[in-house]
Amino acid sequence: MTLPGGLTASVRRLRVHPGRTLIAALGIAAAAAMLGAAVTVAYGLHTGFDRSARRADLPDVIARFDDQPQQRVDARLRTLPNLRARSYRREFTGVPLDANGHASQNGVLQAVGGGRRGYAIVAGRDLRRPDEAVGERGVAREWNISVGQRIGIGNARLRVVGVAVSPDNVAFPLAKGPRVYVSQSALSPRIGTRVNIALIWLNDPSLLDQTLTQARAASFGVGGLRFLTRAGVRTTIDQAAGIVIALLVAFSVVALCSAGVMLMASAQAEVERRLQGIGVMRAIGFSPRAVVGQHVLDAGVLALPAGAAGIAAGALVASRPSANLLESINELPPGAALLGPLALALLLVVLLVAGSAALPAWRAARRPVVSVLRRGELAPVSRASRFPAGFLGMGMRLTAARRGRAFATVAVLTISAAVVLAMLGMATLLNGLRNDPGLVGKRYQLTVNAPASEVAAIRRVPGVQAAAPRYVLFAADSFLLGESLKVVAYPGDHTPFEDPPLASGRRLRSNGEAEVGTGIADALGVRPGSELAIELPSGREVRFRVTGLVRAFDNDGRVVYTRPARLLAADPSLTGEIAVKLAPGADQRAVARRLFAGGHPAQRITGGTTRNASFLSVLAALLRAVALVDGLVCLYILVQALALTARERRSTIAVLRASGAGRREVLLVLAGAALVVVLAAAPAAVLLELAVLGPAVSHLAASYVSLPLHARAGQVAIVVGALLVLAVAAAALAGRRLQREPVVAGLRSD
Amino acid sequence: MRLVTATGLVKSYGSGRAARRVLDGADLEVHAGELVAIVGPSGCGKSTLLHLLGGLDLPDEGSVELGGRRLERETARGLTELRRDYVGFVFQFFHLIPELTGEENVLLPARLAADRRAATRRGRKLIADLGLSEAARRRPGELSGGEQQRLSIARALVNDPRVLLADEPTGNLDEESGHHVLGLLRSLASGERAVVLVTHDAEAARIADRVLRVQRGRLEE
Ligand SMILES: Nc1ncnc2c1ncn2[C@@H]1O[C@H](COP(=O)(O)OP(=O)(O)OP(=O)(O)O)[C@@H](O)[C@H]1O
Ligand SMILES: [Mg+2]
Repeated sequence: MTLPGGLTASVRRLRVHPGRTLIAALGIAAAAAMLGAAVTVAYGLHTGFDRSARRADLPDVIARFDDQPQQRVDARLRTLPNLRARSYRREFTGVPLDANGHASQNGVLQAVGGGRRGYAIVAGRDLRRPDEAVGERGVAREWNISVGQRIGIGNARLRVVGVAVSPDNVAFPLAKGPRVYVSQSALSPRIGTRVNIALIWLNDPSLLDQTLTQARAASFGVGGLRFLTRAGVRTTIDQAAGIVIALLVAFSVVALCSAGVMLMASAQAEVERRLQGIGVMRAIGFSPRAVVGQHVLDAGVLALPAGAAGIAAGALVASRPSANLLESINELPPGAALLGPLALALLLVVLLVAGSAALPAWRAARRPVVSVLRRGELAPVSRASRFPAGFLGMGMRLTAARRGRAFATVAVLTISAAVVLAMLGMATLLNGLRNDPGLVGKRYQLTVNAPASEVAAIRRVPGVQAAAPRYVLFAADSFLLGESLKVVAYPGDHTPFEDPPLASGRRLRSNGEAEVGTGIADALGVRPGSELAIELPSGREVRFRVTGLVRAFDNDGRVVYTRPARLLAADPSLTGEIAVKLAPGADQRAVARRLFAGGHPAQRITGGTTRNASFLSVLAALLRAVALVDGLVCLYILVQALALTARERRSTIAVLRASGAGRREVLLVLAGAALVVVLAAAPAAVLLELAVLGPAVSHLAASYVSLPLHARAGQVAIVVGALLVLAVAAAALAGRRLQREPVVAGLRSD
Repeated sequence: MRLVTATGLVKSYGSGRAARRVLDGADLEVHAGELVAIVGPSGCGKSTLLHLLGGLDLPDEGSVELGGRRLERETARGLTELRRDYVGFVFQFFHLIPELTGEENVLLPARLAADRRAATRRGRKLIADLGLSEAARRRPGELSGGEQQRLSIARALVNDPRVLLADEPTGNLDEESGHHVLGLLRSLASGERAVVLVTHDAEAARIADRVLRVQRGRLEE
């Protein structure tokens, strides 16, 4: 293959310094890997729901109601003006299912009628005959069911002909029950005509609200009617994956920006290293445009293959765990659709690198030729030197004198160290979400299992600031995920004990009012002013007026805050616990001991994320993959920056050696050269993480609360310490190499 | 007393068909008090020879002895000592450190000297003697070739070496300062000390005690 002249020349130029070119290429590949992983995770998760909903042909509204003859429901539904299509299902829960030696008593069987299905077949085919079944992917995977095998449903055995995915729920085992579809004709004709789910597709989804109102009006006589909108499904699914996914996406976005800045800075530094060449080109008559063109071409020629390799590697590492996560929330991996964003990322890499090369080249090419040739990027001599005397200080001066290059290197180090710090902060946060109640909006630290009458006694215990009865119950009306609605009630103001931020509306003020978690409000279709009806475990229904929506982490936002009066009226057997808030500075253990001594054994509060162990491990795997890529990349970029700093001292070291400098002096100079960038970068990194990256991740992940995402002092110490050690190690390595070569070789390296 | 002894030096560059023997059995002895000039056409291997004599590079064959110490048998530490205390080197292309000022460049070896104070004093005096007071405050990039050359000479002399190896030290100098530098070198080459000088300069050849010519990789009188 013959390349155009410019390209051949470019490749030839890059081959002149193979070592340096390799280091630069690896740096680009590393940052690109970070980008690739970030894009894979962020794109996959961010677009997961829409993509899967489209593939599965998810209806705009899912209506659930008590068993009805299908004709009766259809007669009403048909009248809706905005209706495009409809189909019906009958759902049975608590069905015994078994296959391959696995079994569940919690099976969900859905008998599907004709018309649109609302699920996507991902293996095998759809139902055709009464003796066939389609399994949901989660079950198929968990129970190792393949197409053609048989599955026991109650006392029948049906052949599994296909595997389906529908994002209307999270996947088994994250969802409690394994789900299987059969056709209506499989059921005996007597019940086959009865249905309890309607799937509704609209002509104009933007008119959803009106349609729901019309549907409610038309539903007279249909008991237990609940609507679940597509947006509601989405919220619920997102909530199931919780803050962790949001964090992951947010972190990926931040990693993406960081990788971009790092690419820019190193491309810039690369050109600064070649200023002499620019001076010579200008001197022999090249125009500024030609000079810039050449540097852009060189940068691009390097960035394209290196970027492609890096992005591919990053995507590869992140794709498996990211697909696993998507599977567990019943979403589909993007597949080939990911290629577009990845190609865009590659374009971004090439543009960033080439563009960043263009800028300093342009500036240099516009300067008078002689000043470039003579001074390069050196700043004018300043009289006062702030550096220590001796060879260490000399090394520092050598680096600091080349301002542009030093600045770019410091920028690269700063960002990579800050990303590592942000990652550590995130790990701490995730850990904390599981263990520290304060992080999830709980302001009490202990609970005592005692009747409300004991509150006064407990308040008197030293170290207790406040105590109040707290009632918790789970509304029996199990919603979508099989997890119920959590109702939390305090007799008075709940905010001293639990203070979820208000998203809209106001706090509750009377017994008949309630605040609803945003995690459930969308799905329930309530907003401030609406009426909320909940069904207690006893079967009694209680109604509240919704005064506000709150952003609560608890129970993934599926929470209702209210006062206990109406609950107790409906169910006098309801018992609460006593929430105990400690005085500032009081020791939790000491207070717990005192309470115990007074006859009130207390329990410590722990935080809560999604508690499903297997789901957490899927998340952890993905986090590890992303963290591994980003951590390694930052480490590499750090070492690279330090190695380059040491490497460009080659001729200086040769001069020093010719003058009689030995091992010690060479090492000191190199260490000084590396330390000065580290000393500048370390505080900048801590600041960047505290002031920019941490808040950015927090804001992107959950705009409604500020998550404590800053790295701890110990972690900062470790990172700064590691930076220093790396700087010295890089100096030592470079020093050893330079010591071994003849002095002349170093002198000729310029 | 012999300060430098080189025997049978061979040095080739490149490999295979492109290989070229630049030095092919060069012998040289330099005695105390001597000023030896080495001449020859461009590319004949003068700089290569000087690098070998100063221990800046190693020969393929043959040996170099400085003050009774065989370079090829020295450890890295021994070579460092020799370069620090025994030899001063004036490079053909100066090799000043671009980030440091003229004075800092000159005083660089003084940081390594046993008696730093004396070396610094000597360095300052050399700067003044060579007319570099102005140039010493600036960076090499802002200096003329001649100024850089003189700085490089001053740097080589700061630690008061026994042997000065100077590669075309007057190549960039006008007649007057060239004359001055040659006078300095001539006065150095006395008593315990010696100077080996690579030059194209007729005057330099005239003041030398011996003139050696590099021919077909060997040194001839
Ligand atoms: N590192 C190297 N690699 C390959 N060839 C080299 C190297 N160093 C020197 N040479 C070659 O060896 C020969 C001698 O070089 P040297 O620098 O010793 O010449 P010189 O006599 O000092 O010339 P000049 O008077 O021009 O300074 C030259 O042909 C040069 O091209
Ligand atoms: Mg030469």
